[in-house]
Amino acid sequence: MVSRRQLISGLGAGLLCLMIGAPSTASAFNPQRIRQKMQQAHGASGVALVDEWLAMIERLRGARLGDQMSEVNDFFNRKVRWRDDIDVWGQEDYWATPLEMLGKREGDCEDYSIAKYITLKELGVPGNKLRMIYVRAQIGRSQRSQAHMVLGYYQTPASEPLLLDNIIPSIRPASERDDLTPVFSFNSSGLWAGGSEESRADPLARLSRWQSVVNRMRDQGFI
Amino acid sequence: MSLIKQLWLTVILILLLAFVGSLAVSVTSTQDYVEQEMQIKNADNANALALSMTQMEKDDVSIELLVAAQFDTGHYRLIELRSPEGDVMQRREAEPLDDGVPDWFVDLVRLDVAPGQAVVQDGWSQYGTLTLASQHDAAYRSLWQSTLKMAAWFALVGAISLLLAWWIVRTIRRPLLEVVSQARSISARRFTTSSEPRTLELREVVQAMNTLSGAVHTMLSEETGKLDQLRRRLQEDATTGASNRTTLLEHLQNNLDSDSQRASGVLIMLRLVDLPEVNERLGRQATDDVLRALVNHLTQLANELGGGEVGRLNGSDFLVIVHGAQDIEHVSESLKHQLTLLCDAVGEPLRLPAALSEYTHGDTPSQRLAALDGALADAEGRGDMALVAVSDEARLPLYTTHEAWRSALIQSMEAGVALARFPVVNARQEVVHFEAPSRLELAGEWRSAGLFMPWVARLQLEDKLDLAVAERALAIIESDQLPLGINLSGRAVSDMAFIKALRQRLEHAPEAARKLWIELPESTALHDLASFRLLCRELQHTGVRIGLEHVGSEFTRLADLHDLGLAFLKFDASLVSGVDQAFDQQTILRGMATLAHSLGILAIAEGVKRPEEAETLFDLGLDAVTGPGVKAS
Repeated sequence: MVSRRQLISGLGAGLLCLMIGAPSTASAFNPQRIRQKMQQAHGASGVALVDEWLAMIERLRGARLGDQMSEVNDFFNRKVRWRDDIDVWGQEDYWATPLEMLGKREGDCEDYSIAKYITLKELGVPGNKLRMIYVRAQIGRSQRSQAHMVLGYYQTPASEPLLLDNIIPSIRPASERDDLTPVFSFNSSGLWAGGSEESRADPLARLSRWQSVVNRMRDQGFI
Repeated sequence: MSLIKQLWLTVILILLLAFVGSLAVSVTSTQDYVEQEMQIKNADNANALALSMTQMEKDDVSIELLVAAQFDTGHYRLIELRSPEGDVMQRREAEPLDDGVPDWFVDLVRLDVAPGQAVVQDGWSQYGTLTLASQHDAAYRSLWQSTLKMAAWFALVGAISLLLAWWIVRTIRRPLLEVVSQARSISARRFTTSSEPRTLELREVVQAMNTLSGAVHTMLSEETGKLDQLRRRLQEDATTGASNRTTLLEHLQNNLDSDSQRASGVLIMLRLVDLPEVNERLGRQATDDVLRALVNHLTQLANELGGGEVGRLNGSDFLVIVHGAQDIEHVSESLKHQLTLLCDAVGEPLRLPAALSEYTHGDTPSQRLAALDGALADAEGRGDMALVAVSDEARLPLYTTHEAWRSALIQSMEAGVALARFPVVNARQEVVHFEAPSRLELAGEWRSAGLFMPWVARLQLEDKLDLAVAERALAIIESDQLPLGINLSGRAVSDMAFIKALRQRLEHAPEAARKLWIELPESTALHDLASFRLLCRELQHTGVRIGLEHVGSEFTRLADLHDLGLAFLKFDASLVSGVDQAFDQQTILRGMATLAHSLGILAIAEGVKRPEEAETLFDLGLDAVTGPGVKAS
């Protein structure tokens, strides 16, 4: 009787250890997985585009920063058509992963920014130099303003950023973009860097839209 | 380790495991939850504040106000704004809360919450980095309190469990101890029975042991019954069941020689006159009935007067030995009463003259019987129911009044009891122990117990004398290292205060107690079996040996004594006398010795007069012998 009880408590203690110290699965950039996921979701044409993207990454590794940025910027601006989330995904605001965007070949402004951000990070650009910036954009000469997002590159925290945008395909310094008014910026350091590994299994963390896309990207093998 | 300790250790171990386990789970999950909540709050608030700052004028006062307002109205440990170069622009930091949580506990559960960070924009450029950390010391307090509550709850559960365990063990242990003591008793050949406990497993054990004890009891009853039949045929008158002449005279002789109160008393000789005529008139059957009724009434008389024996000397003559110093007037009154009852019951005219005589230590049976014969002839001449007392003018008692006896006895007891020594030897001629009857110095001489015991009994001084004898015996054992046997009187045995006093003395001399043999007459022990049981239970643990003497007429009741742990039995001289010549006696003694051995009891024969008797007795399997013919080598 005693030994049975001890056995049960021993099992309980073991279970406890598992629960407390469960190691999270390490994740990393995984081309195989990206291709596999793409194959499942969008078939051969999607895989072809992903292969193109992967080939670009391989080509740009070790290249000059200016070349990396312009090539990445051009790649997404050329391959993906700009459409509102409501038309692509059927919801007001949906943050898509690069895979989802490349699969559809369509995306909204934040989808571009995310895809460029991830690609540049993979190419070795430090994350803290890249910031996603909410901007108010004036389209054309009209007075109409639109909520928009661009990716900014800060050489130093205090310096003027270079903007990677999909309205104007070329990379320009912020001061040359009179059509854009900055509102707020963020990057992964405030939202996901601290303790992101643990928060994967954490239901509360999914409440954030950013966290949601991060999780999906991790699942698809981007990070 | 005892059962209760094992059970308590198990309970404590299980509770500790459960406590530590549940505490770990609860603290860890709370910790995780608090950490996540705090982290989310830090991040959200940092972003909200940074967003507000980004939207407003970036003058120092406004920024400071905003930071202060957020800090003062919220629950923050730190709000800090640093320029892109890393210089501190604004900083608000709270003192750590002191809420009575011990430092070791804080160290143990240490919450690892990263501060929230957000960048404040000034146009396209970065204005500064905002770092925000919430105050989470309160979480330590609530964790500490829930830990304390849980500990209290487990302490309560622990206390209840230990009590329960104690109760369970107690309910098991009592019957268990009983089982153990019964098993010990059985291994010491005391075949006790005990009540069946409720615990199933123990009950089966007790049932089995009780069955064993019961079987022993049955076997004893059967065997002693067979032996008793033999003895009756040998020693009793076939018609009336009274002792036959030989046996009764043997008893009388033994009484006169004895060192007990039996050494004096009253003899009654009684005659049914014209027995042949009565026989003719009533027929043989009815006459036998009359004789049996007579013996019954005489036995009743003896019992009323404190014990005695009834025997049939020949066809019409009967003899009653009433033990102890008796007032002869009182005895004759009682006799008259019994005879009247007898005549009423029979309904026939009977002639029953009787003669009475006192006997004391130093008399001889033949002299007494001769005196009684004369007196009976006299009585026969006087009438149908005449009673004549033998006058013994020549007899000179030591003291004439009760008071004189009392003061003399007490005085001599205080002066000191002496003990005689009569060896009890085994087949190898080794002394098993010495029988040590008491001697008192009265009227300038050491007197044997036969002389003063009747007076000690009459004056109810037995307990005092017995205690004095026991003390003396223990002293002698301590000085001489000899095993001694002493007698206890029936009156002392039924006196609880005496038993307590004796036990105390035995406990004070544990070494000597192991060499002390205590014996009681068979009739005394069986007369008050409850007191005798008590005596055995109270004294045996001191190592003293308790046994019975004069065992014979009530041997059948040995079955009732089988659970007492008796050390020895001394078989009555009437069974032993002339055993080398009498085949029947040999059969009886052989059987008795065998039965005694089966219970682990030493079998000893009393009253051995000749070496041939001793030899025969050892051949029969008796362990030791004593008597006038036994000398220590």
